[in-house]
Amino acid sequence: MFDWSQAGTALSDVGVTLVVLVAAVAILEGILYVVFVRWRKARLALPIMLITPAAIGLLALYVYPLLWELNVSFTKMNIRNFIFPGFLGLTAERNIFVGLQNYINVFTGPVLKQTGFFQLFAQTVIWTVTNVFFHVTLGIGLALMLNRRLRGRTAYRAMLILPWAIPATASLQIWRTEYNFEFGAVNQLLGLVGLGPYPWLSEPIWNFLAMIITNVWLGVPFMMVIVLGGLQSISHEYYEAAEIDGAGPVQSFRTITLPLLRPVLIPAILLGTFLTFNQILVPFFINQNELETSDILVTALFRAAFQYSRYGFAAAFAFVIFAILLVFTVFYVRWTKALKGAYE
Amino acid sequence: MRSKLRLAALVAGLAVVASACAAGASPTPEATVAPTVAPTVAPETYPTGDIKITLWTKEGEGDGALQFVKKLTQEYEALHPNVKFGVTNKDVEALRQDFLTSSLAGNAPELLWTVADHIGPFTAADTILPLDGLIDPATYLSNALAAVQADGKTWGAPISYGNQLMLYWNKDLVPTAPADSDAMIAAAKAFTDEAAGKYGLVFNQTESFWLVPFLGAYNGSVFAADGKTPTLDTPAMVSALTFMSNLKFTDKVMPKEADYNVADNLFKQGNAAMIVNGDWTLGAYADVFKDKLGVGPIPKITGADFPKPYTAGAFFMVSKAVGDDADKQFVIADFIKFATGRDAQIEMVKTLKRLPGNLEALGDAIVTGDPYLAGAAEAITHGVPQPTNLEMRCVFDSMTAGVRDLFTKGSDPAAVARNMQTSADAGVAPGGECAAE
Repeated sequence: MFDWSQAGTALSDVGVTLVVLVAAVAILEGILYVVFVRWRKARLALPIMLITPAAIGLLALYVYPLLWELNVSFTKMNIRNFIFPGFLGLTAERNIFVGLQNYINVFTGPVLKQTGFFQLFAQTVIWTVTNVFFHVTLGIGLALMLNRRLRGRTAYRAMLILPWAIPATASLQIWRTEYNFEFGAVNQLLGLVGLGPYPWLSEPIWNFLAMIITNVWLGVPFMMVIVLGGLQSISHEYYEAAEIDGAGPVQSFRTITLPLLRPVLIPAILLGTFLTFNQILVPFFINQNELETSDILVTALFRAAFQYSRYGFAAAFAFVIFAILLVFTVFYVRWTKALKGAYE
Repeated sequence: MRSKLRLAALVAGLAVVASACAAGASPTPEATVAPTVAPTVAPETYPTGDIKITLWTKEGEGDGALQFVKKLTQEYEALHPNVKFGVTNKDVEALRQDFLTSSLAGNAPELLWTVADHIGPFTAADTILPLDGLIDPATYLSNALAAVQADGKTWGAPISYGNQLMLYWNKDLVPTAPADSDAMIAAAKAFTDEAAGKYGLVFNQTESFWLVPFLGAYNGSVFAADGKTPTLDTPAMVSALTFMSNLKFTDKVMPKEADYNVADNLFKQGNAAMIVNGDWTLGAYADVFKDKLGVGPIPKITGADFPKPYTAGAFFMVSKAVGDDADKQFVIADFIKFATGRDAQIEMVKTLKRLPGNLEALGDAIVTGDPYLAGAAEAITHGVPQPTNLEMRCVFDSMTAGVRDLFTKGSDPAAVARNMQTSADAGVAPGGECAAE
């Protein structure tokens, strides 16, 4: 039976929070108005008034937690030291400062029960590269199909976007059930063509494959929509000119489509790489048996923090993951000149 | 004849339980419990202001247990209209993780209905209150109370006692209880037809809780005599893992893949002849199978001993989120008294078929005359109390990774035992997440 009182409590909590936020913004704007408009008569008063609430929000929701995380990463905060860490653990009720030890432990000790950082990193690289490859190739393929005159194109487009439209937690619950060895639809369908059954949830290789299949299903629509947008912005005149010059479809694709898609594809691949690298939902749901061979860096981070209560270690581990993504981004952006348009 | 045997088993089981209550069998609560540590002075009369209490429970809807918890809180609310409960179900592991996280964030629930082994992490993290002074220890079975006593304090109030793994069998498929493991395997082989999706024996292949009884059968233990040093890489562990591995890969009487829900469904649907599962599911199986349900200890392993499951039960624990609120403490203590009182406990026996933690209810005819509880009581006689220290948490996690390796990869039992030991050692070593300070 639906619990109306709990729903009411939750809604009233949200309502009160919103009212407080609105009131706080109103007070802030009032102060800014008095200071910058009435008193200083500043030329940039309006931009300052518009930007300040968002800037404070970003500081509170991004910068402060990051600094706090950095602070925790230098402490041995864990289940035995489940205390407010204070400044670097030095001002806690007992000294829990460990310096860089957590960062050293990330590379020298086990991150999970049996698996260390380097194996998890390799698993993450395989996971990311495989997924992004299929996202891009299938996304381009489907976008090219949908970009042609095709009967029922709208219906196909709606069907292909569907995985993206369904909330991931709901669709992943369904996928997890369908991978069940005994009762799942996947094995039953494979059985109709004489294949399987396969232990999708319990054997390492099959489980990793199940995760990839699910994430490809989930991620292709995103890439397809981006590429489709890019394709529609390419003028048909280029293709007509190429056709007159005798170019075939493959040559047109290689010399017209791909180069003109580049400004769209490069940031999409970068974004896709981040989303896949940090994808926690798919491994979390499909790796129901918590096989360490199916863990990637972010799921291992989650387990270290919330399953094994190694808060200090997990904070350091989070910064290591952040550093990996930062290095990748810098090299990728330089290599592809992705931001060329922005600074020229 | 069988009913007499059951009655005899129940009497024997309760005798063991009762003997444990006797002085000397185990420390009496009075002897071990520190003097009353009621954190604040209780009000003299029942509080009259509005009081809201959040209760997190491990009990789920599947066996009707969550409905039972909600019914209890609603009955209490009817008696005290100024009190409102918010009941939330969380799976055992999620409850542990979420409670710790919410305690850190300062929005933890006030009351927990959970398992005894949470005492270790919760006391290490200093997130629950001792109940000395809030509950009357004389009301409860001392064995059950002992499961939640540590450092001279009582950290929980027993709701049910047991939690032991047992063998359930479908009498249409296996008419009589297997005398030993050979008989169990023979009966399982006779029923197994993998192509038809029929299996002789099922159990959760993903949790170390199911490994513990078999380890005990070979006289193994997860800890050395000091109760803290993991002893997982031992001949007993290798024998236990080999026995379990053989069930799946040599005798081939188990499904290729079975977590808790798959095993449970296979048994309920009649596609598995036997299941090893806990006492918590007795009520649900009794509803499905009626008089066709057999319940008893996991059979003696041929050449070894009876499997020795962990025993504990379900307990109330009070969060430190209650703080110094004397009214809330009063209401929580009163609710615990209500929910673990004779009447509520008798209702629990009728609904969920669990052995009550309340002494008066335990001696009631509704318990002593129940044929299913006779099997449960017999099974509990082979059990050993589950350790509640923090080291147990690390050992469980390490063993779980090993069990999954064993069943999913078919790994060599000796290698699995070695890996478990290495992992558990790392957890309890200085700097590990379960290390003693």
